[in-house]
Amino acid sequence: MEVKLHDIGEGMTEGEILTYFVKVGDQVLPDQPLVEVQTDKMTAELPSPTAGTVKEILVTEGTNVEVGTTLLIIESSGTKPVQQKIENTSMNRNIMTIKKVDRENGPKRLILAAPYTRKIARELGIDIEDIHGTGPAGRVTDEDVYRYVNQPEPVEENKNDIQPTIAEVKEIPFNGRRKQIASLMSKSLYTIPHVTHFEEVDMTNLLDSKKQLNEAGVNISVAAFFIKAIQLSLAKYPIFNSVLDEEKGVIKLKKEYNIGIAVDAKEGLIVPVIRHVEQKTLSVIHAEMKDYIDKAQNNTLTKHDISDGTFTISNVGPLGGIGATPIINYPQTALIAFHKTKKKPVVVNDEIVIRSIMNLSMSFDHRVADGATAVGFTNYFVQLLEQPTRMLLELR
Amino acid sequence: MSTITAKTQKLSIVQAVTDGLRTVMKEQEEVLVLGEDVGKNGGVFRATEGLQEQFGPDRVIDTPLSESGIVGTAIGLAINGFLPVVEMQFLGFIYPAYEQIMTHATRIRMRTLSHFHVPLVIRAPYGAGVKAPEIHSDSVEALFTHMPGIKVVCPSNPYDAKGLLIASIDDPDPVLFLEPMRSYRAFKDEVPTDRYTVEIGKASLVEEGTDLTLIAWGAMVPLAVKAAQKVREQNIHCDVLDLRTLYPLDKEMIAESVQKTGRAVIVHEAHATSGLGTDIIALIQDTSFLYLKSPIQRVTGFDVPVPFYTLEQHYLPNEDQIIEAIHKAIQF
Repeated sequence: MEVKLHDIGEGMTEGEILTYFVKVGDQVLPDQPLVEVQTDKMTAELPSPTAGTVKEILVTEGTNVEVGTTLLIIESSGTKPVQQKIENTSMNRNIMTIKKVDRENGPKRLILAAPYTRKIARELGIDIEDIHGTGPAGRVTDEDVYRYVNQPEPVEENKNDIQPTIAEVKEIPFNGRRKQIASLMSKSLYTIPHVTHFEEVDMTNLLDSKKQLNEAGVNISVAAFFIKAIQLSLAKYPIFNSVLDEEKGVIKLKKEYNIGIAVDAKEGLIVPVIRHVEQKTLSVIHAEMKDYIDKAQNNTLTKHDISDGTFTISNVGPLGGIGATPIINYPQTALIAFHKTKKKPVVVNDEIVIRSIMNLSMSFDHRVADGATAVGFTNYFVQLLEQPTRMLLELR
Repeated sequence: MSTITAKTQKLSIVQAVTDGLRTVMKEQEEVLVLGEDVGKNGGVFRATEGLQEQFGPDRVIDTPLSESGIVGTAIGLAINGFLPVVEMQFLGFIYPAYEQIMTHATRIRMRTLSHFHVPLVIRAPYGAGVKAPEIHSDSVEALFTHMPGIKVVCPSNPYDAKGLLIASIDDPDPVLFLEPMRSYRAFKDEVPTDRYTVEIGKASLVEEGTDLTLIAWGAMVPLAVKAAQKVREQNIHCDVLDLRTLYPLDKEMIAESVQKTGRAVIVHEAHATSGLGTDIIALIQDTSFLYLKSPIQRVTGFDVPVPFYTLEQHYLPNEDQIIEAIHKAIQF
């Protein structure tokens, strides 16, 4: 008689054969457990449908088999107790069903958790058995519960929960520029170990210079000064004008200084690049920058306009903010964000005076450079801005 | 607690006991002191020193060496309107009187449907740490906390010693008054010269913290306080509860503290098995189970008779053990 893996009452389709309790040649009686089967939900023993001798075992332990597969063959001794077999089977089904129900009502799996943790879970309406424990021996900790609560709910549950009236969620397509920005940002953040440091710049002198130029009929934006000063600082600290080539195991220091300007355009962030800043005067930089910003707003930048940057600045000052942790424009090495310039009381020569102060945030690739170098770089940059006439010395 | 005048004096625990007795004896003629050597000799620890001189041999009575007889006599006196305060020389000597206490003192109120009650106080120095011989160092409070009908009180400092002793004498039912032998003369405190009481059944919060509840009584309280102060340097802040009364326990304060901190360490010098710590654990799990962040820890004496003095310090709980238990509970 063939003993098959049958559906033990829960619509199972397959199961894993865990252990045989018998071996070939064993005498078995009706109802004697023959084999232990693991299904999706439970472990069950299959009883022998008949008395006899185990003739053959067809499926080895540890294999997954479908319902209906013959597991072993029992050679019946004497007459087959057909009637009894049927009864047995139906009885077994009942037992299995009861077992299954109990399992569903009872604990799904053994959970280790302090009473207090269980209390938190209960109060938050969470089944602690759903939580993956990260504590000692897999214990569910308070943090695990809170983490579980804060994770977004599975979408299908949401579908049922949301009332038709509030189902009108506006969907914004995540593609095009947004998607590209997202993938670049992710790539940058996942690849580059970012470190950000912050600095203060006294902008008073620079603003005076700009005013003087204005009075002379020349309009040069502050950002143009930034770009020039960045280029000069990069010349002094070339490591920040580089690209790390991990495959080749080299850091490539770029000879040209192509400064990208992060522009907040209608369609999202875009970074046009002012090329060869080292060869350009402040007025040229200013003019190019203006041009690029216009193009960015009108979405007419070409691929050339946004390629080959070696360093990026993000001038968020006009928008506000006192600090940020900017994400580097991959594969560059650093990025500086400039924040809002504000009049603030500061101490100069032991006296409190009002000066125009701006914060900057510099993120850099810690694989390529270290904090001290970055501080040196920003210090030099700050000097150039605080004493704009010093920039004259560096201009060609 | 009754009102206390500003007038105080610096007393040790044993002096506070004497002062408590003297204060009550002056006021109430019914108060009698009975025990071995309590009269002329002033008691084995000098707790009754000077009382016989002051109140006479009719009120401060030297008894024969018979604990059963002393307690039995005192029960009779108590039923008949006296307020006897019996001294056991050591708690370990109480065993001959155990029958009197358990079969009579604790039951007469119930047996007579409250027609009679037994306003008896049994004072007993208890505990190890003074290099005493065998039997002298026992800490068997659990033998008495098990039996309804007798209250068990255990002060840890001079102020509570006087206040609780007077409250015990005032109590209409038998009270076992345990005096931590090791703390008898360990330190002094300001103790009011007047009569005052410390309520029986109320614990005291001696240190406040948020991370763990340390529960102790008697001679273990100063140890628990020291451990709490040490772990505070590691930024672990403990509530330290001095139970003061072991039966009935201050369930409310224990529950309140454990529910606040989520962790508990119980310190007692008695043996662990069936020690009072076991009951406190049960109490906490009855009242505060869902607040527990880690298993309750116990620091206790070992399950052996208190050893002779060369090994005594190894038997007694110490500060390091308490700190270790605190760490275990915090780092669970």
